[in-house]
Amino acid sequence: MILTDQEKKMLDGEEGYPAQKAMQILVRLGEIYDADRMIPVSKVHMPGSSVVVAGEAGTRLVEKMAAQGGHFKVFTTLNTGAIDMGSWSEIGYSRETHDLQQRLTRAYEKLGALACHTCTPYLIGSVPRLGEHIAWGESSAIAFVNSVFGARTNREGGPSALAAALTGVVPNYGFHRQENRYGQIHVKVATALSGTVDYGSLGYWVGRRTDSKIPVFTGIPKDVTTDQLKMLSAALASSGSVALYHIVGVTPEAADFETAFGGHQPVEVLTFERSGLRESEGLLNKHQNQPVSIVVIGCPHASIQEIESIAKQLDGKKIHDGMELWITAAQPVKAYAERCGFEQTILAAGGRIVTDTCPILSPMGYLAKARNMHALATNSAKLAHYAPGQWGMPTYYGSLEMCIQIAIDGAARTVSLGERHEG
Amino acid sequence: MKVDHFKGRKIVGGKARGQALVSPEPICFLGGVDVKTGWVTEVGHCLEGKNIAGKVLVFPIGKGSTGGSYLIFESVENGVGPCAIVNRTVEQVTAIGCIIAEIPMLDQVEPDPIDFIHDGDWVEVDADAGTLRILSNDEARELSESALHGAAAR
Repeated sequence: MILTDQEKKMLDGEEGYPAQKAMQILVRLGEIYDADRMIPVSKVHMPGSSVVVAGEAGTRLVEKMAAQGGHFKVFTTLNTGAIDMGSWSEIGYSRETHDLQQRLTRAYEKLGALACHTCTPYLIGSVPRLGEHIAWGESSAIAFVNSVFGARTNREGGPSALAAALTGVVPNYGFHRQENRYGQIHVKVATALSGTVDYGSLGYWVGRRTDSKIPVFTGIPKDVTTDQLKMLSAALASSGSVALYHIVGVTPEAADFETAFGGHQPVEVLTFERSGLRESEGLLNKHQNQPVSIVVIGCPHASIQEIESIAKQLDGKKIHDGMELWITAAQPVKAYAERCGFEQTILAAGGRIVTDTCPILSPMGYLAKARNMHALATNSAKLAHYAPGQWGMPTYYGSLEMCIQIAIDGAARTVSLGERHEG
Repeated sequence: MKVDHFKGRKIVGGKARGQALVSPEPICFLGGVDVKTGWVTEVGHCLEGKNIAGKVLVFPIGKGSTGGSYLIFESVENGVGPCAIVNRTVEQVTAIGCIIAEIPMLDQVEPDPIDFIHDGDWVEVDADAGTLRILSNDEARELSESALHGAAAR
C-alpha cells in the first residue's frame, strides 16, 4: 500500500499517539482488503457514540485519544447516545449511565465532534453528494447515504470511524471503488407497498436473503418518500448487512437496469409478493399477546413529516392510562416540531419526543424492569428486530397508524394487521 | 472423509486454542450477545442460549449493527469474549473488533470449517501461519483437563 509523506508521518508517530494508532488500524484494514492507497474523506459519522455500544472499554479508548492531544481532521457527527441529554432523569435513566455517557460525549467533543447524537444526520444537515467519499457508521445511515445520495462509504465500526476522523483518510477499498458498487441481486417488487411499514417489511425480507450483496429493486414507484427509504435502509441493514442498494429509476446510480448492474447479469432474482410482507410481519411480531406498555416511533429517528402525521392522529385525544408513547428524534427536529405546534399536541395527548437516544442504544432493559414494562409496539422493522434479543421485550410490529391507535386504546390490534394482508 | 487441517488467510495475527462454537448463521453482537456474560441472546438464532466465552467462534460473516466492533472489544475486556474468530468472509465491523481486542482472526478458510468442525471440538487457530486445526484426542484431553483444573482452582 502506497502512503503519502503525510500519512507516513502519522504512522511513524510524528503527529502523536492518536494519529499513529489510528493510522495503524487503517493500514491493517487496507492490507486486509488489498487497498492500493488511502483516500481523503470529507465527513465522518461516529458509531459507538452510545455507552451501550462503546462500554467502559470504548469510552476509555476515546478518552485516551482526547487526553493524548488527538483532534478530528474532518467534520464529525455523533451517532445516537444512551440517554436523552435534557430529560434523562425524568425519563428514568440511571445516574451511572448518565455519567458514563457524559464522559464519552465530552471526550468526542474534545476531539472536535458535533454532539448531535442522531442516527439520521442526513435529516439535520449532513448531506453528502453523489460520489463524495465519507466514513460513516450506523448501519441504517450507511445504507441510506450510499444508496439514496450515492455517497461512498464502507460499513465503519466505532474504532475505524474514530481512526478516519483522527487522520482524515480511509483505505481505498469496498464501496469507495466504482467496480464494487454495481448491483448483484435483482429484487422484483410485485406487490403494492403502503405507508412506511411495508418498506421495512420489504427490507427485512430482502436482508435475510442477501447478506452483504447489493440488491437492485424494480417495481418501486418514483414517488417513494424519504421516510419510506429511511425505513427500507434500516431494515436491510438489520436482517442482513446490506450497505448499498439501488432502485431503478429512483436512486442516482440506477438510471436504468443496465447501469445499476454495470452491464452484468444479476446473480440471483428474487420476487417479493404479499407472502413476503406476511413473512416479515410474522417474524417481527414476537409476542404471546402480552399487554403493550410502550409504543415507540422514530427508528431511525423521526422526520418532521412523521411527527406531523402523529400529531394529526393524536389531536384532541389522550393515550391510554399506563401506556407510554415515545417519538425518538434528533434535537433540531424536536425544535422544529415545537415551532410548528406538533410537540404541544403530542405532549397534551400524553406522549413525548425523546432526543439523543433510542430504545436500541439506551439501556432499555433496565428501564423496562424498573417500570414493569411488558411488550413494545413499533412501526420499525429494525427496532422490532433488536428489542427482543437486546432487552428481552416482546414486540408488536405494524403500521404507524396501528401503533398510535394501540397507544390510544391501550390494547394491541395485531389481528387487523394480519387481515389486511389476507384480503 | 476426516478433515482436521484447514488453511485460511490471516486477518489478525496471534495464536489461540479453545473449543469451537459454530454458527451457520451470521452473528450481530448488538442485541445478539450479552457482552457482560457471553451468552448469545438473539431470539431464534441458532446459537441462542449458548456462551461464547473462551470459544473459537466460527461463523460465515458479521451482520447488523456497526456497534459490533466495540462490543467484541468489550466482551474480551470483560473476560467473556471469544479467544479467536473464524469467518467465511471478513466483514469490517468484526475485523476491527478483533484488531482492537487483539484476538486472532482468519477468513477464507478451506475447506469450509462450518461443514467440518462441530461445537465442542478443541481447535487451534494460528493466524500468523494461516492455519486452523482440530486438535488430537491427546491434546484435547490435556487442554480440557487444564481447563477443568483452572475452573476448580477458581
